[in-house]
Amino acid sequence: MPLAETVAVGQELPALVKEMSQRRIDVYSGVRPRSIHTDEAWARQKGFRTTLAQGMMSTAFASEMMTRLLGEGFIRGGTLSMAFIKPVYAGDRLTVHGVVRETRPESARTRVVVEVWCQNQHGEKTAVGTASGLTEG
Amino acid sequence: MTEFPRLTYDALTVGEQFVSDTHLVTPEDIEAYAFAVDDHHPWFTHDSPVGGPVAHPTLMANQALHLRHSKYIVHAGLHAKMQFEFVEPIRPGMRVRSRGTVVDKYERRGRQYMVTEYVTEDETGAVLVRGQFTQMLIPEGTRHAAR
Repeated sequence: MPLAETVAVGQELPALVKEMSQRRIDVYSGVRPRSIHTDEAWARQKGFRTTLAQGMMSTAFASEMMTRLLGEGFIRGGTLSMAFIKPVYAGDRLTVHGVVRETRPESARTRVVVEVWCQNQHGEKTAVGTASGLTEG
Repeated sequence: MTEFPRLTYDALTVGEQFVSDTHLVTPEDIEAYAFAVDDHHPWFTHDSPVGGPVAHPTLMANQALHLRHSKYIVHAGLHAKMQFEFVEPIRPGMRVRSRGTVVDKYERRGRQYMVTEYVTEDETGAVLVRGQFTQMLIPEGTRHAAR
């Protein structure tokens, strides 16, 4: 059951922890040469210390958090906007956070706006943004 | 026959359009995506409130993100921003494609960016996801100074 019945402004959502293994990055991005995501030598040549996860993976994590919160009200009628502010490297551990910032009426429902961000194992934010979705009442 | 010039900031034109090939969404796609992002929501494999299984909302995001590859050889790039509006769920068995238009390009602090508006739709043309993304170009022969 979605968590939406308990939504309140200021509420911190249950955090998600994601291990960014090269295997998962490979499956997400598709393995190919001359890719900063799956070709370590190429990533180093481009100035990175190793391969990077696609920023888009962080949008999937925020989406998971919102689907857990709002269920159908996110997969139909949800929005998500994120900026990728630091590289996420293979081997990193990301923690995905969300805090409810606003609720506002929309037609006969309520739009719930959540600040979302991902943080690496060093405490650095790697992606920041806002997500929203609909709930009853 | 499509020709694939190398993507450069100068070659890119605001207003130019991209279209992907059509992709049949399979249960295997959904399973692989669930593994990749470590999200195994039961709606991906069992009934959901919208009737039948659904895909992860961001399943086809890479189809949109790779639109520029339908016209250009892309040397390297980084994804800077992504916006989604999830209009209708993507479901297994749908044939989906993405279309995009370059709506802006700009240089900031020595880096080059392109902005694309996109829509992902099913075989009837019904909109499933729409949004906008910003990509940074990494020109050939250069390194990105990782932050």
